[in-house]
Amino acid sequence: MAVYILKRVGLALITLWILSMIIFWVGQQLPGDPGRTILGNLATPAGVAALDHKLGVDRSIVTQYRDWVTNLAHGDMGTSYSYQAPIRPFITTALVNSLKLALVAFLICVPLAIASGVIAALKSGQWIDRSISVFGLSLLGLPEFVSGVFLIMIFGIWLNVLPVGATPPAGAGPLTQVYHLILPAIAIACVLFGYIMRMARAGTIEALNSDYTRTAVLKGLPTRTVVWRHVLRNALLPTITVVATQIGYLIGGLLVVEYLFHYNGIGSLTFKAAQAKDFPLLEATVLTIGVVYLVATLIADITYTLLNPRLRIGGDR
Amino acid sequence: MTAVVDDAPGSGSVDSGAAQVRREQWRELRKSKTFLVGATILVFWIVCAVIGYRVVPHTPFEQDLLHTNASPSTQHWFGTDQIGRDVFARVITGVRVVLVVAFLATVLGTVLGTVLGLITGYMRGWVDETISRFVDALLALPLVITAVVVIAALGPSNVTVTVCIGVIFAPLIARTVRTAVIQERELDYVTAARLRNERGPYIMLFELLPNVLSPVMVEFTVRLGYAVFTVATLSFLGFGIPPPTPDWGDDIADNISVVTAGYWWEVLFAAGAIASLVIAVNLVADAIEKVTDE
Amino acid sequence: MHRDPQKLDQLRNGRSEIENHIIDEYVLGRISRREFLRRGSIIGLSIPLLGAIATACGGANSSSTASSGSTGTPKAGAKLRIAGVVPTSAINPAQIYDEGGLTMIQQTGEYLSFNDPKTNILQPMLATSFKPNADASVWTYTLRPGVTFSDGTPMTANDVVYSFQQNTNPKVYVNAASVFNGVLTNDGVKKVDDQTVEFHLEAPNGNFSYLISSDNYNMIIVPNGTDYSKWQKTFIGTGPFKLTSYQANTGATFAPNHSWWGGKVLPAELQHIFYQTQQPQITALQGGDVDIVNLIVPAGAEGVLNNPDYTLLDTKSSQHRELSMRCDKAPWDNKLVRQAMALSLNRPEIAQALFKGYAQLGNDNPFAPFFRSTDTSVPQRAQDLTKAKQLLSQAGHPSGFTTDLYTEDYQEMKNYAQIIKQAAQAIGININLHIDNQATYYKDHWLSGIMSLVDYGHRGVPNVVLTATLTKGGAWNAAHFDNPQYDGLVKQYVAALDLPTQKQIAGQIETLLLDETPWICAYYFDSLSVSKKAIGGVVTTGMGQIYLSGAGPVTA
Repeated sequence: MAVYILKRVGLALITLWILSMIIFWVGQQLPGDPGRTILGNLATPAGVAALDHKLGVDRSIVTQYRDWVTNLAHGDMGTSYSYQAPIRPFITTALVNSLKLALVAFLICVPLAIASGVIAALKSGQWIDRSISVFGLSLLGLPEFVSGVFLIMIFGIWLNVLPVGATPPAGAGPLTQVYHLILPAIAIACVLFGYIMRMARAGTIEALNSDYTRTAVLKGLPTRTVVWRHVLRNALLPTITVVATQIGYLIGGLLVVEYLFHYNGIGSLTFKAAQAKDFPLLEATVLTIGVVYLVATLIADITYTLLNPRLRIGGDR
Repeated sequence: MTAVVDDAPGSGSVDSGAAQVRREQWRELRKSKTFLVGATILVFWIVCAVIGYRVVPHTPFEQDLLHTNASPSTQHWFGTDQIGRDVFARVITGVRVVLVVAFLATVLGTVLGTVLGLITGYMRGWVDETISRFVDALLALPLVITAVVVIAALGPSNVTVTVCIGVIFAPLIARTVRTAVIQERELDYVTAARLRNERGPYIMLFELLPNVLSPVMVEFTVRLGYAVFTVATLSFLGFGIPPPTPDWGDDIADNISVVTAGYWWEVLFAAGAIASLVIAVNLVADAIEKVTDE
Repeated sequence: MHRDPQKLDQLRNGRSEIENHIIDEYVLGRISRREFLRRGSIIGLSIPLLGAIATACGGANSSSTASSGSTGTPKAGAKLRIAGVVPTSAINPAQIYDEGGLTMIQQTGEYLSFNDPKTNILQPMLATSFKPNADASVWTYTLRPGVTFSDGTPMTANDVVYSFQQNTNPKVYVNAASVFNGVLTNDGVKKVDDQTVEFHLEAPNGNFSYLISSDNYNMIIVPNGTDYSKWQKTFIGTGPFKLTSYQANTGATFAPNHSWWGGKVLPAELQHIFYQTQQPQITALQGGDVDIVNLIVPAGAEGVLNNPDYTLLDTKSSQHRELSMRCDKAPWDNKLVRQAMALSLNRPEIAQALFKGYAQLGNDNPFAPFFRSTDTSVPQRAQDLTKAKQLLSQAGHPSGFTTDLYTEDYQEMKNYAQIIKQAAQAIGININLHIDNQATYYKDHWLSGIMSLVDYGHRGVPNVVLTATLTKGGAWNAAHFDNPQYDGLVKQYVAALDLPTQKQIAGQIETLLLDETPWICAYYFDSLSVSKKAIGGVVTTGMGQIYLSGAGPVTA
């Protein structure tokens, strides 16, 4: 087990390193330059060149990468060119914000999706199953900004029951924060719902048809106990995998939702960095996202292995 | 989700057995309600893409500066936008560029992905390992974020968007193809080909490829929906199709700020159009997946 | 109107030739009272003195500072929340160029004089008076005594000289270079004594006092020796507020500076909140999360524009868009073609569609209706499609032609570009639009595009636009316009010190440009801010500055 974890962590680190090189190279390809962003579009080319030199952006790409990696190893994320301030506080605030949003989205989506999937599986073939499946499939098709727009118009403006901006006024308590996060969370949840519901349904059906379940029923155990104790556990396994694979998607979806609902999260920070051609900020944000993704997949893999007794014993697949 | 093509074991070529399977699948497809609903909507949009410009009562470019932000009426079925353009016309004609870009991007991604999948699946070894690490690194980034960064670097244009999305899809498709190829290469017909001294590229192209076409087609249809999704999202973020081509994502982005002023029609219809197109493609893809799975 | 000749003579005693000239103009009724106050203040006559003269001439005596917003006296002690646009980069007073940044520095920083947005007349701020010499090549400013920075140190001429030297620094690019180029150099600022500073200009300039007023938003006075790149940490200044905290992406909080020279500071706290786009600002205002939104555009703000629950602060300004045509490239090198393009636009409709009427019409020259020196007798160009087509035929393009237009995706310009395309279509000109993001446009197309549509912010006098965009070798001459007669007229205008001369030269320039039409300007749009009806005493300028020392709740 420990070997397995170490191996996975090792692979993840290699991937991360490759990722950092890719991002750094792409970042350097961005047009425009930091000097221009700071001094504005009317500044003379000479003035911009002077500032660029002062910032050190005209050095060779290898030198800049080396410096960047060294700093990163010491925990220094560098200085944002456009804000002329250390990057780390921006990232930590944005990351925390995004995690809050993701958490609310998960809390709304996952229980609902799993429940729907299980119900659909239990009533497989009947109209409830069909409607849930079609509903899930339809939601799958809505880009987050589309569902976000619908949500804003219906709940934010026409019915006026939920706030249209995700950022609460300063100093708001947790309840107010969640209140502001409901609409964007639903927008994200919409797309996740379909995937999770499908996996839960498939997993439940498979579990219901397994020998173990049939034996339990024959032994006289009530269906409900069977479902709770055995079926759910096996249905959860594929669900966790799906959730893990959707993390990457979730983070990308965050970008759009944060932009639409004006929320200062890691997605909108990345977007701002790309727009402003702020290399250090862009590299830091993208790398952060990469780390989050790899960590999440790692945790999901390990949890899956832990929960799946077959894999643990190392028996046949 | 690989499909197992029902072939007589040992034979390596696509013979009438496979053709018969396909005919059966097609018949099943036509019976499926999901497929029918999806296909109808899709056909509707394809028709709009082809003849839309000629059919609409106003062009999507005509501006009526004295009647900006007009609500839906008999004159303008979907109302007008901020510079007096007919929203109905923009919705109907807006599908063309989305479909073309999404389709081409998916084709590009499928071709690249299949090639990549064939190579890594067949060769294995260090070629497979190295490429897979790179692919993993790229996949650690959400699609939208990568697209935003790349297009910020290259500047938005129809070609850039198409290539960017296509290239980003390739690794995802490659994975599926790779899995399929790994399963196939153990089969007898491949061994037979190798014994015949056929070279690698020949085996990949003429032996393996026809037999993994099924999962490739499924991937194509699944990705198409996602491509439409992504094109719309990129346009919304300002990194997509450049104006003045009518484009749904662009129109939503331009007019979302006036929704709070009560001008809901400028955004709702375009959003509905995107939703219907993506759902239609997904329904079709889902039906195809189900049919080829059984 | 009854005149008091004796009093008048008394007041005239000891006045310089220029000052007497202006008083003559007023007495003879050649300029209005408002104009007299404005012109007089430019050359340094104090407001009380001007008022006294005006009274002696029989006019009513009133001061001109208008506070915008609701009527009623604002109450003290309010905690005001202001929605503003996020500054694009670090707050370095010499480098900022954007609205978000300039709003930040003027919360705590102050200028030598303040350009009153309602009247375009200069009010004393850190300088109590100023006067030019006979040919307007040397300007002497007297500083206000008893002014201290928020840390207690007194403000003297040393600080003023330092601030100006930093903003005319030849070695490092500073944003004010566009204003000071050809006007003032680094060594032109001289301290005379602790309370007096002299500006020795490169050439006579009749509008210089405007060029260093609050219109030149970088020109706040900071303590001698301040490191501008670190100013963001302290926001040190002489103004009514001092910094409590600043977070780059989020906002800034200010507390009152009770040792401010200007009197009582009403608000107990200012909280500026930054937004990326306008829509959440309006939503926040409607939801009660903010009290004031600084700088809005009409598009998208319909919910608060004609709403009795909100007060609209509408300031006329000289913000505009210039559509330049390359005068050195076919087919635009023929002025008939340029005129035809200008005649294709329906300006009132465009102003209505893009700004809901909160704009004034432009006449294809830098003299906005807003400027006092504008000669308004020059006829306003209007749409004339028949004449336009005629001119095209005359120029040898009876069936039109195809060309390209480059512009930026900024505010309403995307829509404006498409309107231009439509208008040109009607006379046979087929325009291919290229709409890029700002950075790409400015870098690759602004000064080279065969047709180029660019944004210009507000300025109190037309000097900068006159020289930079149209003189030979001008830094912003996107039209590549080269007209010696024009260059000569501009030189005269810049040197002219009294209004009638300025107006007369302006008229000539306007007529010349109407004929040559190197660039088209269809509108000058207002600066708009909006506040809750219950808040009064807010002063906003065409630049986007917002002054809140006298703001608070009113019972109106």
